[in-house]
Amino acid sequence: MSAEAGAPAGESLYRKEPKVYPRDVHGRYARLRRIAVLVLLGMYYILPWINWGGHQSVLFDLPGRKFYIFGLTFWPQDFIYLALLLIAAGLTLFFFTALAGRLWCGYACPQTVWTEVFLWMEKWVEGDRNKRMKLDKAPWTANKIWRKSLKQFLWVSFALWTGFTFVGFFTPIREFGQNILAASIGPWETFWWIFYSFATYGNAGFLREQVCKYMCPYARFQSAMFDRDTLIISYDLERGEPRGGRRKTADKAELGLGDCIDCTLCVQVCPTGIDIRDGLQTECIACAACVDVCDQVMDKMGYERGLVRYTTENALEHKASRVLRPRVVIYGVLLAAILGSTLWSMTHRTPLRADLLRDRNQLYRELPDGRIENVYTLKLVNMTDAAQRYVISIPGHENLTWTVSPEPTLEAEQVGRYSFTIQAPRDFAAGSVEIDVRFEAESNPGIAVDHKTRMLMPINGGGR
Amino acid sequence: MSDPENNVPGRWNRNKRDWGVSIWVAFLAACVGTFILFALIDPESLGSSWVAGWETSVRLTYGLGFGFIFLVALFATRLTSFMIRTGPRRGHARGKGKRRPPEVHDPADNNPDLRDEDWI
Repeated sequence: MSAEAGAPAGESLYRKEPKVYPRDVHGRYARLRRIAVLVLLGMYYILPWINWGGHQSVLFDLPGRKFYIFGLTFWPQDFIYLALLLIAAGLTLFFFTALAGRLWCGYACPQTVWTEVFLWMEKWVEGDRNKRMKLDKAPWTANKIWRKSLKQFLWVSFALWTGFTFVGFFTPIREFGQNILAASIGPWETFWWIFYSFATYGNAGFLREQVCKYMCPYARFQSAMFDRDTLIISYDLERGEPRGGRRKTADKAELGLGDCIDCTLCVQVCPTGIDIRDGLQTECIACAACVDVCDQVMDKMGYERGLVRYTTENALEHKASRVLRPRVVIYGVLLAAILGSTLWSMTHRTPLRADLLRDRNQLYRELPDGRIENVYTLKLVNMTDAAQRYVISIPGHENLTWTVSPEPTLEAEQVGRYSFTIQAPRDFAAGSVEIDVRFEAESNPGIAVDHKTRMLMPINGGGR
Repeated sequence: MSDPENNVPGRWNRNKRDWGVSIWVAFLAACVGTFILFALIDPESLGSSWVAGWETSVRLTYGLGFGFIFLVALFATRLTSFMIRTGPRRGHARGKGKRRPPEVHDPADNNPDLRDEDWI
Protein backbone atom coordinates (compact mmCIF):
# COMPACT_ATOMS: atom_id res chain seq x y z
CA MET A 1 0.00 0.00 0.00
CA SER A 2 1.35 3.39 -0.90
CA ALA A 3 1.93 6.02 1.71
CA GLU A 4 -0.61 8.80 2.06
CA ALA A 5 0.33 12.39 1.41
CA GLY A 6 1.94 13.79 4.49
CA ALA A 7 3.49 10.52 5.61
CA PRO A 8 7.28 10.29 5.53
CA ALA A 9 8.49 9.06 2.15
CA GLY A 10 8.72 5.30 1.93
CA GLU A 11 6.69 4.69 5.06
CA SER A 12 3.46 2.81 4.66
CA LEU A 13 0.59 3.69 6.93
CA TYR A 14 -0.61 0.12 6.74
CA ARG A 15 0.74 -2.33 9.24
CA LYS A 16 -0.17 -5.95 9.65
CA GLU A 17 -2.16 -6.67 12.80
CA PRO A 18 0.24 -8.80 14.87
CA LYS A 19 -0.87 -12.07 16.43
CA VAL A 20 -1.73 -11.62 20.10
CA TYR A 21 0.20 -13.81 22.52
CA PRO A 22 -1.30 -12.90 25.90
CA ARG A 23 1.20 -13.15 28.71
CA ASP A 24 0.10 -15.13 31.74
CA VAL A 25 -0.96 -13.00 34.67
CA HIS A 26 -1.56 -13.49 38.39
CA GLY A 27 -3.57 -11.37 40.75
CA ARG A 28 -6.99 -10.95 42.33
CA TYR A 29 -8.88 -10.35 39.08
CA ALA A 30 -7.12 -13.26 37.38
CA ARG A 31 -8.22 -15.41 40.34
CA LEU A 32 -11.79 -14.14 39.99
CA ARG A 33 -11.78 -14.97 36.30
CA ARG A 34 -10.39 -18.43 37.01
CA ILE A 35 -13.17 -19.02 39.54
CA ALA A 36 -15.78 -17.75 37.04
CA VAL A 37 -14.39 -20.10 34.37
CA LEU A 38 -14.47 -23.09 36.71
CA VAL A 39 -17.98 -22.36 38.02
CA LEU A 40 -19.54 -21.58 34.63
CA LEU A 41 -17.88 -24.39 32.72
CA GLY A 42 -18.47 -26.73 35.67
CA MET A 43 -22.19 -25.96 35.42
CA TYR A 44 -22.15 -26.40 31.67
CA TYR A 45 -20.42 -29.77 31.71
CA ILE A 46 -22.03 -31.23 34.83
CA LEU A 47 -25.67 -30.07 34.75
CA PRO A 48 -26.84 -32.43 31.98
CA TRP A 49 -25.58 -35.39 34.03
CA ILE A 50 -27.65 -34.51 37.11
CA ASN A 51 -31.24 -35.67 37.34
CA TRP A 52 -33.93 -33.58 39.00
CA GLY A 53 -37.56 -34.58 39.49
CA GLY A 54 -37.27 -37.67 37.31
CA HIS A 55 -35.74 -35.78 34.37
CA GLN A 56 -32.39 -34.46 33.33
CA SER A 57 -31.93 -31.23 35.35
CA VAL A 58 -31.77 -29.12 32.18
CA LEU A 59 -33.21 -30.64 29.03
CA PHE A 60 -34.72 -28.79 26.08
CA ASP A 61 -36.75 -31.60 24.57
CA LEU A 62 -37.59 -30.06 21.20
CA PRO A 63 -39.33 -33.09 19.61
CA GLY A 64 -41.46 -33.49 22.76
CA ARG A 65 -42.01 -29.69 22.89
CA LYS A 66 -41.13 -29.60 26.58
CA PHE A 67 -38.33 -27.86 28.48
CA TYR A 68 -37.21 -29.37 31.79
CA ILE A 69 -35.37 -26.87 33.96
CA PHE A 70 -34.50 -27.74 37.57
CA GLY A 71 -37.61 -29.79 38.18
CA LEU A 72 -39.96 -27.42 36.34
CA THR A 73 -41.57 -28.41 33.05
CA PHE A 74 -42.24 -25.73 30.47
CA TRP A 75 -44.68 -26.28 27.64
CA PRO A 76 -45.08 -24.39 24.36
CA GLN A 77 -47.89 -22.50 26.10
CA ASP A 78 -45.31 -21.22 28.59
CA PHE A 79 -43.54 -19.33 25.81
CA ILE A 80 -44.27 -16.12 27.70
CA TYR A 81 -41.86 -17.19 30.46
CA LEU A 82 -39.08 -17.68 27.95
CA ALA A 83 -39.79 -14.23 26.52
CA LEU A 84 -39.80 -12.71 30.01
CA LEU A 85 -36.58 -14.47 30.95
CA LEU A 86 -34.90 -13.19 27.77
CA ILE A 87 -36.05 -9.65 28.58
CA ALA A 88 -34.77 -10.10 32.15
CA ALA A 89 -31.43 -11.36 30.79
CA GLY A 90 -31.15 -8.27 28.57
CA LEU A 91 -32.01 -5.96 31.47
CA THR A 92 -29.49 -7.73 33.70
CA LEU A 93 -26.84 -7.01 31.10
CA PHE A 94 -27.90 -3.34 30.94
CA PHE A 95 -28.00 -3.07 34.73
CA PHE A 96 -24.57 -4.52 35.37
CA THR A 97 -23.03 -2.72 32.40
CA ALA A 98 -24.34 0.64 33.65
CA LEU A 99 -23.06 -0.18 37.11
CA ALA A 100 -19.75 -1.92 36.53
CA GLY A 101 -18.96 -1.85 32.80
CA ARG A 102 -18.21 -4.95 30.83
CA LEU A 103 -18.37 -7.52 33.61
CA TRP A 104 -20.04 -9.90 31.19
CA CYS A 105 -17.19 -9.72 28.67
CA GLY A 106 -14.42 -10.03 31.22
CA TYR A 107 -15.75 -12.88 33.30
CA ALA A 108 -18.83 -14.63 31.95
CA CYS A 109 -19.00 -14.46 28.15
CA PRO A 110 -18.57 -17.94 26.61
CA GLN A 111 -16.01 -16.46 24.23
CA THR A 112 -13.87 -15.32 27.18
CA VAL A 113 -14.43 -18.48 29.18
CA TRP A 114 -13.59 -20.98 26.45
CA THR A 115 -10.72 -18.89 25.10
CA GLU A 116 -9.25 -18.92 28.61
CA VAL A 117 -9.38 -22.73 28.71
CA PHE A 118 -7.87 -23.03 25.23
CA LEU A 119 -5.09 -20.67 26.35
CA TRP A 120 -4.44 -22.83 29.41
CA MET A 121 -3.98 -25.84 27.14
CA GLU A 122 -1.78 -23.85 24.77
CA LYS A 123 0.38 -22.64 27.63
CA TRP A 124 0.59 -26.12 29.12
CA VAL A 125 1.83 -27.62 25.83
CA GLU A 126 3.83 -24.79 24.25
CA GLY A 127 4.98 -22.85 27.29
CA ASP A 128 4.75 -19.20 28.26
CA ARG A 129 4.35 -16.22 25.93
CA ASN A 130 8.02 -16.00 24.90
CA LYS A 131 8.27 -19.73 24.28
CA ARG A 132 5.10 -19.67 22.18
CA MET A 133 6.42 -16.80 20.08
CA LYS A 134 9.75 -18.55 19.57
CA LEU A 135 8.05 -21.84 18.70
CA ASP A 136 5.88 -20.15 16.06
CA LYS A 137 8.93 -18.56 14.45
CA ALA A 138 11.05 -21.72 14.63
CA PRO A 139 11.38 -24.16 11.70
CA TRP A 140 9.33 -27.35 11.78
CA THR A 141 11.38 -29.68 13.93
CA ALA A 142 10.22 -32.90 15.61
CA ASN A 143 9.70 -30.97 18.84
CA LYS A 144 7.52 -28.34 17.14
CA ILE A 145 5.46 -30.99 15.31
CA TRP A 146 4.97 -32.91 18.56
CA ARG A 147 3.89 -29.83 20.53
CA LYS A 148 1.60 -28.47 17.85
CA SER A 149 0.02 -31.91 17.35
CA LEU A 150 -0.52 -32.40 21.06
CA LYS A 151 -2.10 -28.95 21.34
CA GLN A 152 -4.41 -29.68 18.42
CA PHE A 153 -5.32 -33.05 19.92
CA LEU A 154 -6.25 -31.41 23.24
CA TRP A 155 -8.19 -28.60 21.53
CA VAL A 156 -10.12 -30.98 19.28
CA SER A 157 -10.91 -33.38 22.16
CA PHE A 158 -12.10 -30.54 24.37
CA ALA A 159 -14.15 -29.04 21.54
CA LEU A 160 -15.77 -32.43 20.84
CA TRP A 161 -16.62 -32.83 24.51
CA THR A 162 -18.11 -29.31 24.48
CA GLY A 163 -20.19 -30.13 21.39
CA PHE A 164 -21.30 -33.40 22.94
CA THR A 165 -22.43 -31.58 26.09
CA PHE A 166 -24.26 -28.96 24.02
CA VAL A 167 -26.28 -31.64 22.22
CA GLY A 168 -26.82 -33.21 25.64
CA PHE A 169 -28.97 -30.20 26.58
CA PHE A 170 -31.36 -31.09 23.74
CA THR A 171 -31.36 -34.87 23.82
CA PRO A 172 -30.93 -37.05 26.94
CA ILE A 173 -27.16 -37.00 27.40
CA ARG A 174 -26.78 -40.56 28.71
CA GLU A 175 -28.72 -41.94 25.77
CA PHE A 176 -26.68 -39.77 23.41
CA GLY A 177 -23.42 -41.02 24.95
CA GLN A 178 -24.52 -44.63 24.59
CA ASN A 179 -25.53 -43.99 20.99
CA ILE A 180 -22.10 -42.54 20.22
CA LEU A 181 -20.40 -45.56 21.76
CA ALA A 182 -22.67 -47.85 19.74
CA ALA A 183 -22.03 -45.70 16.61
CA SER A 184 -25.76 -45.27 16.12
CA ILE A 185 -26.38 -41.53 16.44
CA GLY A 186 -28.80 -39.86 14.09
CA PRO A 187 -27.82 -37.39 11.36
CA TRP A 188 -29.10 -34.30 13.18
CA GLU A 189 -27.38 -35.17 16.41
CA THR A 190 -24.17 -35.77 14.45
CA PHE A 191 -24.54 -32.45 12.63
CA TRP A 192 -25.06 -30.38 15.78
CA TRP A 193 -22.34 -32.20 17.65
CA ILE A 194 -19.78 -31.53 14.92
CA PHE A 195 -21.10 -28.01 14.27
CA TYR A 196 -20.86 -26.87 17.89
CA SER A 197 -17.49 -28.57 18.35
CA PHE A 198 -16.19 -26.80 15.28
CA ALA A 199 -17.60 -23.47 16.50
CA THR A 200 -15.86 -23.90 19.86
CA TYR A 201 -12.59 -24.90 18.23
CA GLY A 202 -12.69 -22.03 15.75
CA ASN A 203 -13.82 -19.32 18.16
CA ALA A 204 -11.65 -20.20 21.14
CA GLY A 205 -8.65 -21.60 19.27
CA PHE A 206 -8.26 -19.22 16.34
CA LEU A 207 -10.65 -16.28 16.17
CA ARG A 208 -10.25 -15.34 19.85
CA GLU A 209 -10.07 -11.54 20.23
CA GLN A 210 -11.28 -11.00 16.65
CA VAL A 211 -14.74 -12.12 17.78
CA CYS A 212 -14.81 -9.41 20.47
CA LYS A 213 -13.34 -6.73 18.22
CA TYR A 214 -15.18 -7.27 14.97
CA MET A 215 -18.08 -9.67 15.44
CA CYS A 216 -19.70 -8.95 18.80
CA PRO A 217 -22.44 -6.29 18.74
CA TYR A 218 -22.38 -5.78 22.51
CA ALA A 219 -19.11 -3.82 22.37
CA ARG A 220 -20.71 -1.40 19.90
CA PHE A 221 -23.79 -0.85 22.03
CA GLN A 222 -21.99 -0.47 25.34
CA SER A 223 -21.55 3.29 25.02
CA ALA A 224 -25.34 3.61 25.19
CA MET A 225 -25.27 1.98 28.63
CA PHE A 226 -22.19 3.74 29.96
CA ASP A 227 -22.12 7.07 31.73
CA ARG A 228 -19.45 9.00 33.59
CA ASP A 229 -20.13 6.99 36.78
CA THR A 230 -19.80 3.56 35.19
CA LEU A 231 -16.89 1.48 36.45
CA ILE A 232 -14.29 1.21 33.72
CA ILE A 233 -10.71 0.02 33.63
CA SER A 234 -8.61 3.07 33.16
CA TYR A 235 -5.03 4.24 33.19
CA ASP A 236 -4.44 7.20 35.48
CA LEU A 237 -2.94 9.55 32.94
CA GLU A 238 -2.31 12.28 35.48
CA ARG A 239 -0.30 10.00 37.71
CA GLY A 240 1.41 7.91 35.06
CA GLU A 241 2.76 10.51 32.63
CA PRO A 242 5.34 11.28 31.49
CA ARG A 243 6.16 7.60 31.25
CA GLY A 244 9.66 6.20 31.06
CA GLY A 245 12.05 3.48 32.18
CA ARG A 246 14.11 3.90 35.33
CA ARG A 247 15.84 2.06 38.14
CA LYS A 248 13.85 1.26 41.23
CA THR A 249 16.13 3.47 43.28
CA ALA A 250 15.89 6.41 40.88
CA ASP A 251 14.08 9.55 41.97
CA LYS A 252 11.22 9.92 39.49
CA ALA A 253 10.71 13.57 40.36
CA GLU A 254 14.30 14.28 39.56
CA LEU A 255 13.95 12.46 36.25
CA GLY A 256 10.70 14.31 35.56
CA LEU A 257 8.74 11.06 35.18
CA GLY A 258 5.33 9.84 36.30
CA ASP A 259 4.62 6.42 37.78
CA CYS A 260 4.39 4.54 34.47
CA ILE A 261 7.70 2.82 33.82
CA ASP A 262 6.67 1.96 30.24
CA CYS A 263 7.34 -1.74 30.70
CA THR A 264 4.46 -2.48 28.23
CA LEU A 265 3.38 -5.41 30.38
CA CYS A 266 -0.19 -4.06 30.34
CA VAL A 267 -0.13 -4.50 26.56
CA GLN A 268 1.49 -7.92 26.74
CA VAL A 269 -1.15 -9.39 29.05
CA CYS A 270 -4.07 -7.92 27.11
CA PRO A 271 -6.03 -10.68 25.34
CA THR A 272 -7.19 -8.19 22.69
CA GLY A 273 -3.75 -6.65 22.23
CA ILE A 274 -4.62 -3.04 23.07
CA ASP A 275 -2.79 -0.45 25.12
CA ILE A 276 -5.05 0.66 27.96
CA ARG A 277 -2.94 3.82 28.24
CA ASP A 278 -4.54 5.01 24.99
CA GLY A 279 -7.83 5.42 26.88
CA LEU A 280 -11.15 3.57 26.88
CA GLN A 281 -11.48 1.50 23.72
CA THR A 282 -14.25 -0.68 22.33
CA GLU A 283 -11.76 -3.55 22.13
CA CYS A 284 -11.27 -3.57 25.92
CA ILE A 285 -13.18 -6.54 27.35
CA ALA A 286 -12.54 -5.42 30.94
CA CYS A 287 -10.77 -8.62 31.96
CA ALA A 288 -8.56 -6.54 34.31
CA ALA A 289 -5.38 -8.44 33.35
CA CYS A 290 -3.68 -5.05 32.92
CA VAL A 291 -4.79 -4.05 36.43
CA ASP A 292 -3.26 -7.18 37.92
CA VAL A 293 0.05 -6.92 36.12
CA CYS A 294 0.39 -3.18 36.71
CA ASP A 295 -0.24 -3.71 40.42
CA GLN A 296 2.57 -6.30 40.40
CA VAL A 297 4.89 -3.82 38.71
CA MET A 298 3.93 -1.07 41.15
CA ASP A 299 4.67 -3.44 44.05
CA LYS A 300 8.02 -4.29 42.50
CA MET A 301 8.89 -0.62 42.07
CA GLY A 302 7.63 0.29 45.52
CA TYR A 303 4.93 2.60 44.12
CA GLU A 304 1.30 2.79 45.17
CA ARG A 305 -1.00 0.31 43.42
CA GLY A 306 -3.79 1.42 41.09
CA LEU A 307 -2.04 3.17 38.20
CA VAL A 308 -4.36 1.06 36.06
CA ARG A 309 -7.53 0.38 38.00
CA TYR A 310 -11.28 0.05 38.10
CA THR A 311 -12.54 3.59 38.36
CA THR A 312 -15.03 6.01 36.82
CA GLU A 313 -14.52 8.93 34.48
CA ASN A 314 -15.77 11.26 37.20
CA ALA A 315 -13.34 9.81 39.76
CA LEU A 316 -10.46 10.32 37.33
CA GLU A 317 -11.43 13.98 37.13
CA HIS A 318 -11.60 14.19 40.95
CA LYS A 319 -15.37 14.50 40.89
CA ALA A 320 -17.75 12.55 43.09
CA SER A 321 -19.03 9.26 41.67
CA ARG A 322 -22.58 8.10 42.26
CA VAL A 323 -23.70 4.50 42.33
CA LEU A 324 -27.44 5.26 42.28
CA ARG A 325 -28.20 7.08 39.06
CA PRO A 326 -31.49 7.28 37.16
CA ARG A 327 -30.46 4.64 34.60
CA VAL A 328 -29.27 2.22 37.30
CA VAL A 329 -32.49 2.73 39.26
CA ILE A 330 -34.69 2.33 36.16
CA TYR A 331 -32.87 -0.83 35.00
CA GLY A 332 -32.95 -2.19 38.57
CA VAL A 333 -36.65 -1.52 39.11
CA LEU A 334 -37.61 -2.97 35.71
CA LEU A 335 -35.46 -6.02 36.34
CA ALA A 336 -36.91 -6.60 39.80
CA ALA A 337 -40.46 -6.15 38.47
CA ILE A 338 -39.98 -8.61 35.61
CA LEU A 339 -38.17 -11.19 37.71
CA GLY A 340 -40.69 -10.84 40.55
CA SER A 341 -43.74 -11.16 38.31
CA THR A 342 -42.20 -14.09 36.40
CA LEU A 343 -41.40 -15.89 39.64
CA TRP A 344 -44.87 -15.22 41.04
CA SER A 345 -46.54 -16.32 37.85
CA MET A 346 -44.44 -19.49 37.60
CA THR A 347 -45.14 -20.53 41.17
CA HIS A 348 -48.88 -19.80 40.83
CA ARG A 349 -49.49 -21.28 37.40
CA THR A 350 -52.09 -24.02 37.07
CA PRO A 351 -50.60 -27.27 35.76
CA LEU A 352 -53.54 -27.82 33.43
CA ARG A 353 -54.17 -26.30 30.05
CA ALA A 354 -57.50 -26.49 28.26
CA ASP A 355 -58.29 -25.24 24.76
CA LEU A 356 -61.75 -25.40 23.25
CA LEU A 357 -61.91 -24.93 19.49
CA ARG A 358 -65.29 -24.58 17.86
CA ASP A 359 -66.11 -26.84 14.92
CA ARG A 360 -65.79 -24.50 11.98
CA ASN A 361 -68.08 -26.49 9.68
CA GLN A 362 -71.35 -25.65 11.43
CA LEU A 363 -72.53 -23.03 13.89
CA TYR A 364 -74.90 -25.39 15.71
CA ARG A 365 -77.05 -28.39 15.02
CA GLU A 366 -80.56 -29.32 16.05
CA LEU A 367 -81.01 -32.66 17.81
CA PRO A 368 -84.07 -34.92 17.19
CA ASP A 369 -85.40 -34.02 20.65
CA GLY A 370 -85.35 -30.32 19.75
CA ARG A 371 -82.28 -29.31 21.73
CA ILE A 372 -79.49 -27.30 20.14
CA GLU A 373 -75.96 -28.72 20.13
CA ASN A 374 -72.57 -27.02 19.62
CA VAL A 375 -69.56 -29.10 18.67
CA TYR A 376 -65.99 -28.38 19.81
CA THR A 377 -62.56 -29.94 19.76
CA LEU A 378 -61.14 -30.04 23.28
CA LYS A 379 -57.41 -30.14 23.94
CA LEU A 380 -56.24 -30.89 27.48
CA VAL A 381 -52.62 -30.73 28.61
CA ASN A 382 -51.72 -32.43 31.88
CA MET A 383 -48.69 -30.45 33.08
CA THR A 384 -48.24 -32.43 36.31
CA ASP A 385 -45.98 -35.42 36.85
CA ALA A 386 -48.91 -37.67 37.85
CA ALA A 387 -51.85 -39.21 35.96
CA GLN A 388 -55.06 -37.13 36.21
CA ARG A 389 -58.75 -37.62 35.51
CA TYR A 390 -60.62 -34.42 34.77
CA VAL A 391 -64.15 -33.40 35.72
CA ILE A 392 -65.98 -30.95 33.46
CA SER A 393 -68.73 -28.57 34.51
CA ILE A 394 -70.49 -25.46 33.21
CA PRO A 395 -71.10 -23.35 36.32
CA GLY A 396 -74.21 -21.16 36.32
CA HIS A 397 -75.97 -23.08 33.52
CA GLU A 398 -77.57 -26.15 35.10
CA ASN A 399 -79.83 -26.68 32.10
CA LEU A 400 -76.86 -27.32 29.79
CA THR A 401 -75.58 -30.85 29.23
CA TRP A 402 -72.36 -32.01 27.59
CA THR A 403 -70.59 -35.05 26.31
CA VAL A 404 -66.89 -35.71 25.98
CA SER A 405 -65.27 -38.56 24.15
CA PRO A 406 -63.10 -40.40 25.03
CA GLU A 407 -62.81 -40.16 28.83
CA PRO A 408 -60.66 -37.13 29.84
CA THR A 409 -57.96 -39.11 31.61
CA LEU A 410 -54.31 -38.27 30.98
CA GLU A 411 -51.02 -39.77 32.02
CA ALA A 412 -48.31 -37.49 33.43
CA GLU A 413 -47.25 -34.73 31.00
CA GLN A 414 -49.61 -35.95 28.32
CA VAL A 415 -51.71 -34.07 25.80
CA GLY A 416 -55.19 -35.32 24.88
CA ARG A 417 -57.65 -34.32 22.15
CA TYR A 418 -61.35 -34.95 22.60
CA SER A 419 -64.64 -34.44 20.89
CA PHE A 420 -66.72 -32.19 23.13
CA THR A 421 -70.37 -31.21 22.64
CA ILE A 422 -72.72 -28.97 24.63
CA GLN A 423 -76.50 -29.31 24.39
CA ALA A 424 -78.96 -26.58 25.36
CA PRO A 425 -82.75 -26.45 25.48
CA ARG A 426 -84.16 -24.48 22.56
CA ASP A 427 -85.35 -21.73 24.91
CA PHE A 428 -81.90 -21.36 26.50
CA ALA A 429 -81.13 -18.16 24.60
CA ALA A 430 -81.21 -16.56 21.19
CA GLY A 431 -78.02 -15.84 19.23
CA SER A 432 -74.70 -16.09 20.98
CA VAL A 433 -74.16 -16.55 24.73
CA GLU A 434 -70.82 -16.53 26.51
CA ILE A 435 -70.36 -19.45 28.87
CA ASP A 436 -67.56 -20.66 31.14
CA VAL A 437 -66.54 -24.29 30.95
CA ARG A 438 -64.65 -25.51 34.00
CA PHE A 439 -62.05 -28.29 33.87
CA GLU A 440 -60.92 -29.67 37.21
CA ALA A 441 -58.60 -32.50 38.27
CA GLU A 442 -60.62 -35.10 40.17
CA SER A 443 -57.85 -35.77 42.68
CA ASN A 444 -57.00 -32.11 43.29
CA PRO A 445 -59.69 -29.41 42.95
CA GLY A 446 -56.89 -26.83 43.13
CA ILE A 447 -55.94 -27.80 39.59
CA ALA A 448 -58.75 -26.15 37.70
CA VAL A 449 -59.10 -23.79 34.75
CA ASP A 450 -62.11 -21.95 33.34
CA HIS A 451 -62.36 -21.57 29.61
CA LYS A 452 -64.65 -19.00 28.05
CA THR A 453 -66.47 -19.99 24.91
CA ARG A 454 -69.63 -19.04 23.04
CA MET A 455 -72.75 -21.13 22.82
CA LEU A 456 -74.43 -20.41 19.49
CA MET A 457 -78.22 -20.69 19.33
CA PRO A 458 -80.75 -19.90 16.59
CA ILE A 459 -81.30 -16.12 16.46
CA ASN A 460 -85.06 -16.33 16.30
CA GLY A 461 -85.33 -19.31 18.60
CA GLY A 462 -86.51 -21.41 15.62
CA GLY A 463 -84.73 -24.02 13.51
CA ARG A 464 -81.88 -23.23 11.08
CA MET B 1 -22.56 15.22 10.03
CA SER B 2 -19.61 17.36 9.04
CA ASP B 3 -18.37 14.88 6.45
CA PRO B 4 -18.81 16.74 3.10
CA GLU B 5 -19.08 13.48 1.18
CA ASN B 6 -22.05 12.61 3.36
CA ASN B 7 -23.91 15.83 2.62
CA VAL B 8 -24.06 16.21 -1.14
CA PRO B 9 -27.19 18.19 -2.10
CA GLY B 10 -29.77 15.96 -3.74
CA ARG B 11 -28.08 12.76 -2.62
CA TRP B 12 -29.29 10.60 0.23
CA ASN B 13 -26.99 10.79 3.20
CA ARG B 14 -25.36 7.66 4.58
CA ASN B 15 -28.08 6.98 7.13
CA LYS B 16 -30.85 7.09 4.54
CA ARG B 17 -28.84 4.91 2.17
CA ASP B 18 -28.27 2.36 4.93
CA TRP B 19 -31.97 2.25 5.78
CA GLY B 20 -32.95 1.98 2.11
CA VAL B 21 -30.57 -0.89 1.44
CA SER B 22 -31.53 -2.65 4.68
CA ILE B 23 -35.27 -2.49 3.98
CA TRP B 24 -34.90 -3.56 0.37
CA VAL B 25 -32.65 -6.51 1.18
CA ALA B 26 -34.95 -7.56 4.04
CA PHE B 27 -37.92 -7.37 1.67
CA LEU B 28 -36.19 -9.58 -0.91
CA ALA B 29 -35.21 -12.06 1.81
CA ALA B 30 -38.77 -12.10 3.15
CA CYS B 31 -40.18 -12.74 -0.35
CA VAL B 32 -37.86 -15.69 -0.90
CA GLY B 33 -38.34 -16.92 2.68
CA THR B 34 -42.16 -16.75 2.50
CA PHE B 35 -42.16 -18.50 -0.87
CA ILE B 36 -40.02 -21.36 0.42
CA LEU B 37 -41.76 -21.59 3.80
CA PHE B 38 -45.25 -21.91 2.38
CA ALA B 39 -44.08 -24.20 -0.41
CA LEU B 40 -43.10 -26.60 2.34
CA ILE B 41 -45.86 -25.92 4.88
CA ASP B 42 -49.55 -25.75 4.09
CA PRO B 43 -50.78 -22.48 5.65
CA GLU B 44 -54.22 -24.02 6.11
CA SER B 45 -52.76 -26.61 8.44
CA LEU B 46 -51.39 -23.80 10.61
CA GLY B 47 -54.77 -22.15 10.95
CA SER B 48 -55.85 -24.07 14.02
CA SER B 49 -52.53 -25.23 15.44
CA TRP B 50 -51.21 -22.02 16.98
CA VAL B 51 -49.98 -22.40 20.51
CA ALA B 52 -52.26 -19.63 21.73
CA GLY B 53 -55.31 -21.29 20.22
CA TRP B 54 -55.92 -18.64 17.57
CA GLU B 55 -57.82 -19.49 14.45
CA THR B 56 -56.41 -17.65 11.47
CA SER B 57 -57.41 -17.57 7.84
CA VAL B 58 -54.97 -18.65 5.13
CA ARG B 59 -54.43 -15.04 4.01
CA LEU B 60 -53.68 -13.92 7.53
CA THR B 61 -51.24 -16.81 7.96
CA TYR B 62 -49.43 -15.74 4.76
CA GLY B 63 -49.36 -12.17 5.99
CA LEU B 64 -48.09 -13.08 9.44
CA GLY B 65 -45.45 -15.36 7.90
CA PHE B 66 -44.21 -12.64 5.57
CA GLY B 67 -44.28 -10.00 8.30
CA PHE B 68 -42.37 -12.17 10.71
CA ILE B 69 -39.66 -13.11 8.20
CA PHE B 70 -39.40 -9.48 7.08
CA LEU B 71 -38.90 -8.23 10.64
CA VAL B 72 -36.26 -10.87 11.39
CA ALA B 73 -34.48 -10.10 8.11
CA LEU B 74 -34.70 -6.34 8.78
CA PHE B 75 -33.17 -6.84 12.21
CA ALA B 76 -30.32 -8.82 10.60
CA THR B 77 -29.68 -6.25 7.84
CA ARG B 78 -29.79 -3.28 10.22
CA LEU B 79 -27.42 -5.00 12.64
CA THR B 80 -25.07 -5.89 9.78
CA SER B 81 -25.12 -2.31 8.57
CA PHE B 82 -24.44 -1.02 12.08
CA MET B 83 -21.60 -3.49 12.66
CA ILE B 84 -19.91 -2.56 9.39
CA ARG B 85 -20.25 1.19 10.00
CA THR B 86 -18.81 1.06 13.52
CA GLY B 87 -15.99 -0.77 15.22
CA PRO B 88 -12.23 -0.55 15.46
CA ARG B 89 -10.22 0.49 12.43
CA ARG B 90 -6.72 -0.01 13.68
CA GLY B 91 -4.36 -1.20 11.01
CA HIS B 92 -6.08 0.69 8.22
CA ALA B 93 -4.36 3.66 6.68
CA ARG B 94 -7.59 5.60 6.23
CA GLY B 95 -10.54 6.37 8.36
CA LYS B 96 -11.01 7.98 11.70
CA GLY B 97 -9.19 5.54 13.92
CA LYS B 98 -5.88 5.14 12.18
CA ARG B 99 -4.14 4.06 15.35
CA ARG B 100 -1.35 1.58 15.02
CA PRO B 101 -0.94 -1.59 17.05
CA PRO B 102 0.75 -0.73 20.34
CA GLU B 103 4.50 -1.11 20.58
CA VAL B 104 5.77 -3.73 23.00
CA HIS B 105 9.24 -4.50 24.20
CA ASP B 106 11.01 -6.46 26.90
CA PRO B 107 9.77 -5.09 30.25
CA ALA B 108 13.35 -4.97 31.42
CA ASP B 109 14.38 -2.54 28.63
CA ASN B 110 15.24 0.66 30.52
CA ASN B 111 13.89 -1.03 33.66
CA PRO B 112 16.80 -3.17 34.87
CA ASP B 113 14.94 -4.09 38.05
CA LEU B 114 12.34 -6.01 36.06
CA ARG B 115 13.68 -9.31 34.99
CA ASP B 116 11.45 -11.01 32.45
CA GLU B 117 11.11 -14.22 34.42
CA ASP B 118 9.29 -12.30 37.13
CA TRP B 119 6.31 -11.85 34.82
CA ILE B 120 5.88 -15.33 33.41
